[in-house]
Amino acid sequence: MTVLAPVYLLAAGLVAAAVVAIHFIVTAEPRTVPLPTARFAPLRPVRTQARWLRLQDLLLMALRVLAILAVGAGLAQPVLDPPRRDLTRILLVDRSRAVADPAEVADSARALYREGDAVVLFDSTARRVQAGALDSLAALTRSPARGRLSAALIVALRTASEMRERADSFELAIISPFAAEEVDRATDSIRALWPGGVRLVRVAARADSAAPAVVAFDGEPDDPLRFALVNPRSAADTASSNVLVVRGTPDGVDSAWAANGDRALVHWPATHTRADGAPAPAVPPPWTARAAPDSVGGLAAGDAVVVAPFERWAAYEEAGGNAAGRVVARWVDGEPAAIEVPHGAGCIRTVMVGVPARGDLVLQPRFARLAAVLTARCGGPVQPGTLDSARLASLAGEPATAHAAGSALPQPEVSRSAVAPWLFAAALAFALAALVLQRRMARLARPSGAGRDA
Amino acid sequence: MQSLSDGTLLDAIRGLHWPARRATRGAAHGSHRSHRIGSSPEFMQYREYRPGDDASKIDWKLYGRTERVNVRQTRDDSELRTTILVDASASMAYPLPGLDKWTMASAIAIGLAAVAIGDRDPVGLAVVGGTGVEVLPPRSATNTVANIQRVLGGVVPSGSRPLAPVLAMLRTSRRVAIISDFLGDADALLERAAELVAAGREVFAVHIVAREELEPRTLGSLVVDPEEEAIRRPLDEDGLEEYRSAFARWREELASSWRAKGIVYHLAITDEPADQVIRRIVTPAATAAVTGEPS
Repeated sequence: MTVLAPVYLLAAGLVAAAVVAIHFIVTAEPRTVPLPTARFAPLRPVRTQARWLRLQDLLLMALRVLAILAVGAGLAQPVLDPPRRDLTRILLVDRSRAVADPAEVADSARALYREGDAVVLFDSTARRVQAGALDSLAALTRSPARGRLSAALIVALRTASEMRERADSFELAIISPFAAEEVDRATDSIRALWPGGVRLVRVAARADSAAPAVVAFDGEPDDPLRFALVNPRSAADTASSNVLVVRGTPDGVDSAWAANGDRALVHWPATHTRADGAPAPAVPPPWTARAAPDSVGGLAAGDAVVVAPFERWAAYEEAGGNAAGRVVARWVDGEPAAIEVPHGAGCIRTVMVGVPARGDLVLQPRFARLAAVLTARCGGPVQPGTLDSARLASLAGEPATAHAAGSALPQPEVSRSAVAPWLFAAALAFALAALVLQRRMARLARPSGAGRDA
Repeated sequence: MQSLSDGTLLDAIRGLHWPARRATRGAAHGSHRSHRIGSSPEFMQYREYRPGDDASKIDWKLYGRTERVNVRQTRDDSELRTTILVDASASMAYPLPGLDKWTMASAIAIGLAAVAIGDRDPVGLAVVGGTGVEVLPPRSATNTVANIQRVLGGVVPSGSRPLAPVLAMLRTSRRVAIISDFLGDADALLERAAELVAAGREVFAVHIVAREELEPRTLGSLVVDPEEEAIRRPLDEDGLEEYRSAFARWREELASSWRAKGIVYHLAITDEPADQVIRRIVTPAATAAVTGEPS
């Protein structure tokens, strides 16, 4: 058993010792009551009475001490140590859009997996599989999102910290096609935090994952957005495109088109307030209409930042049931401006940004970069290619088979004791029992009627 | 308990008389029968009629002349010097905080004094407490009761000073009333009281007992005698019955021994109305009953 905060246990012991000392000091002399006719009370040894009292007093003291010790033990957060193993693996399993065959990834992971190992699935986010790892691997599917090794490595480090007492050493294995887009500037720094080598298991990369976005445009011929896109094709040419920008309201055909392939349907309403005074189009869910359209003057999406009087007429609540949506662009005040939600094999991206009809903003390169991000393929712009051997060697470390010692891993930031709640409950029970016993003793020792003595 | 401050006790005992148990040899005039029998009553003076006076002594001829009601006082009416000895030891300061025993003792003392003054008997007071002995010589003045009440009101029972030496000094009084719980020098007190009785004095013993002493409520504790710290005994449910029987036996023995010496013994429980106790003490029939004499 490991005690996470032993100082509380020590403090509880000191308090309990003080309680015991006070108890014996106070109970050394029994309570005396004046009675002029005391001489008529039977002449018995006082010791007999004191022993009767002492039994209850001792029980009361024991209950108090137990309550204090239970509180101290609960605050000390004792953790029952599981059986320790020689080696535990942490498997980072890639399910991003770069994976060619999820089954191959699952097979590679199963080959390494042993009971007690940790499995982390990742694409743009990473999560540890808490239970049923083999079932999760069997049901593994490819995500349209871009993979991020940085996120996966962070979860791996956190998982290893939590499991550091369960094994002498840890092995980190990454099963991934190692596409170039999965590495960012933070990856090397995070990798350096792992105190050992990393086993890299490379699987096939998806052939078309690096294909550039081919945008089809469904809007008015004089729509200013059309001029910001690079070689936009007509809406009728969706067969050769993988991104469809709809300025009106998407129909079922558009939705089916996106769901049946790795295609992105970009719903980018042309304008909210119509010039002819006609009713504004309904804001698509899960967006909600703002009480009064405004402009916060700036927008950021990926690496593109544009300051311009964009019209903002819709709001998006990130918490609650909208958590599945990935925010693609944000206003300068932090509110989402565009979100992307998975849709079948593809995705639907909603861009609630009014494009200024006047001026030459749409012709400027900065707006073109912004439009490229907002009309990218699912998961964001694709960076073609995979990591070369030198980059992989850097990621694996020297030697790649060197395991990380459990003691070299950082202590977990937050650790919870499963025993602590039971200890607190026991402390409460002891305290209540002490209270009941104390009242019972007081009732026996005090006058039951209205008469009062000294 | 009846209040002394608002006069309810004095109202309740108004009209009572505390006659001598037998004819007195008193030289001064009073309301008691004199030993001077055989000689015709000699007129001494007129006194204005007061409620409770013998109606046969009203001088109706004088009333016819003056329209004022006066009674004739003759030499055969002897007075009875009375002293009330009150125990103010620590055991009388019980139970706290009401001091019921002391309150009852004070009420009885004041009541007896009022009755005696009503009979034109000089009344004195002797209070024996931890701070000393406070004595008021017997007086028949109208403010005597007020003086007694003032003295008693200023006393806080404490200590364990014996009563017997003080009782021995009260030989000049024809009647002595001892108000005490008799938990102090009871044997010596009885000896001095018996000497007084042998010398022809009337001695009354009023035994004050608190209800809480009869039915102790502080069980499971160590009970301590406030006058004698060495007496420390456990008292619980098991010992309660034994305590009750021992206390009752002692009370019976106390009453028997005092009555055997010709002393009028009365028991007063603190939850009893004080006027009833006073009425019992001063009534000749009740007095005869508690001493075994014919009334």
